[in-house]
Formats: sequence, C-alpha cells, structure tokens
Amino acid sequence: MIPPIDHPVWVQFVTGKKTIKSSRATFNMLVQNTKMEYERDASPANTRELISRSYKFFTQFESVFPSEIAQITG
Amino acid sequence: MSITVHAELSSIPEVQAAIDAGESLFLAGSREALSQLPRGNWVGGTICYFMTKEGCLKAEDRIFVTKVPEFALEVKALDYGADNLAQIHRDAPHNGFTFVVLPASSEVLKTFAEKASIFDGFLLHPIVGWVSGVRVDRIGIDKPAVFNGKSGAVLEDRCVALHVSLPIGKMADLEIANIFESGGGDVIRFEETGFHVSQCLVNGKPANLAEYITRKGIPTEFPLVGDYNGSSINVSFLSVDAAKGTVELYAPVFAGVDYLFAKPVADYSAAFAKAVTGEEPESAFACNCILNYLYGKLEGKKAGTLTGPITFGEIAHQLLNQTLVRLQILGVG
Repeated sequence: MIPPIDHPVWVQFVTGKKTIKSSRATFNMLVQNTKMEYERDASPANTRELISRSYKFFTQFESVFPSEIAQITG
Repeated sequence: MSITVHAELSSIPEVQAAIDAGESLFLAGSREALSQLPRGNWVGGTICYFMTKEGCLKAEDRIFVTKVPEFALEVKALDYGADNLAQIHRDAPHNGFTFVVLPASSEVLKTFAEKASIFDGFLLHPIVGWVSGVRVDRIGIDKPAVFNGKSGAVLEDRCVALHVSLPIGKMADLEIANIFESGGGDVIRFEETGFHVSQCLVNGKPANLAEYITRKGIPTEFPLVGDYNGSSINVSFLSVDAAKGTVELYAPVFAGVDYLFAKPVADYSAAFAKAVTGEEPESAFACNCILNYLYGKLEGKKAGTLTGPITFGEIAHQLLNQTLVRLQILGVG
C-alpha cells in the first residue's frame, strides 16, 4: 500500500535516505533523477515538488512495481 | 500477462494496404520507401537496418511495421520542434504510451536528450522510440528524416509522435536490455551535462577525458556506463580528439551520475541471446542500436529473439545508446 503523500518516508525517499533496490530501469531512472534534482536544489519547495512527482509515479504504476512499493514502507 | 502486437518487416504494398485499411502504424524504413506511402494515421523515420527473426539485415525496399493494437482507445499523430517539445507529455494520454522518432543530429534531438528528464510528466507517460538515421556509408551526405503520415510532412528538424491511449486494464511498461556492464575501475563524473566533454573528475580529481582515454588506451567502441541506482545507462563515444582534448558523445553525460567504462563484450550476438531469451513477456515494440550492429558485426546474426529497427539512438523515457529497448503492454487489474 502506498503511504499518504504527507508520510515522512517521502522526504527520506527524495533525499536519498530511503534506499530502494530495483532491477527495473524505469524505476531506477526515477530514483537517479530525483537524487540529481535534489542535489541541484534542496530547497523545501523543490523537495515538495519531488515528493509530489514521486508520489504520482508510485500511484500510477502501483501494479507494475509491487516489490519497489513494498520496500517504501518496509 | 503481456499483449501480443503485430510487428514485422513488410513490403511497401503491404504497408500501403494497411494504411488504406485505416490501421495506425509506427514505421521504420528508407526515405525512398516511406515516401511511397499514402497519408494516414502513421508516423515513421528513416532507417534501413533491422532485427528480424532470421537475423539482422539491411533493407531499403521494405518497411518495419509496428501496428498499434486494435484495443487502443485513441491514436494521435503529432510533430514537435525543439521549441515545444515539452508539450509532448501534456499531449500524452493519462494511460497509454507514446511512440516517438527524432532525427539524428537535429536540435530537437539535442533538446530531448538534455532536457527530457526535467520535462513535467517525465516517467509518468512512457515514451518509447528511436533516432532516425541514414545508410552508414551515407552519413554526412544524406539527412535523417521523420514522417508525419497524417499531415504528409517530411521533417528533418522536428520529431514525430504517435500518442496511444489504452483502456483500463492495460498498461504500457518499458524495459531495456543492456549487454554492457561496468568494468570496475575509476569512477568518472562530470560537472556539466552535455554531448561535448573536455574536463571531468576521475575518482574526484580533475582530468581531461580525452587525455585519460588516450593514455589508458581505452577502446571506445564500448560505452561509458552510467549508474542509475543499479541500472546501467550507456553513453557512446562518437570521437576522441587527444590533440584538442575533446570527446564527442552520442548522448549527453549528466552531472551527478557516476560513470565507469564498460567491460568489453566479445560476442554481441551471444550476449543478446543471453539478455533476451524469449522467456520474457512478449514485446509490443523493440529497437536496437546501430553501434551494436556495427561493432558486434550483427549482420546475418540474431540479437536475441526480438525484432525491430536498428537505430541511431534508442528512447526509453530518455535517449539511450547501445541499448535494446522494448515496450510491453501488460494486462493489469
């Protein structure tokens, strides 16, 4: 189950403190690009934007990435 | 569960008949072949190298056809320039995917390569496709082009897209098969994103990449491999000029990514056979890289079990090099 958008795990995810392992290129592009965008701009506004994008991705592709979603709350 | 989609190398009359029958098509063929097609709901690009069930080959009198599945809800053919390329995600369906072809050496390709990952909607709308090219012995003479079959336009400075909307219960998923892996050794980083490189950081220390490659005798037919959270994303070498201290690449390197030189691959055909066994879900579309065809001497050999065009760059959300890309349509829910 995907945590709500205000769950602290999303901040951990976009700041790179929550590591999720995946063999899927699309998912790993999300992780890498989020990391690069956060390194470029770690402001609260950009962090919120990155959380919003990541949350949308997880929600939209919930059925495609079950093992990655299991790790976000694990 | 994946959905089978018709994709094969076809004669020009067969493609003309499919267009006249109202099929929506994603096409790859020579400029001469594509120029003979009637208007209709199709987009395509110039290329004359293909992966077929019999092996990889060159053909200028046939066209590789990927038919949009009949269950697609809506199909829209559009073209974009560098100035409005970010619009591609806004035009993409909420559930579906977008086929795209971009001409090699064009401004629109440069924009896509450098900025796709910062477009609003990146990764949310799967974009899959390739970079159009020319016959290898005509590089620098002929120009790569793309075709918008809806408008009849033949374009050298814009890309074409076929937006395909899928019904509930079906979902597009992109995968890549990369036969290259990092060979270990020094970690290369770049402070700026781009196709043209001079300075870099080698294990954190400033260096000139061209000088480093030359001094180490690194073979440049194998790519730089970017580490994307464990997935390998390749960037291939166009040229290395040690005298000028410059390196030209087929795709941009990105600041913030760790790159390593790839471990050499001796037998590309065997490597693809191992990477694409036929046991994966069936692909709705696939393409492979012209550099793999050339360096791997794949003419007459198979590149795994997949079929599709062999191209001047591959698109799976972003520009890739020396990579096999595939689209799968999954039954979900």
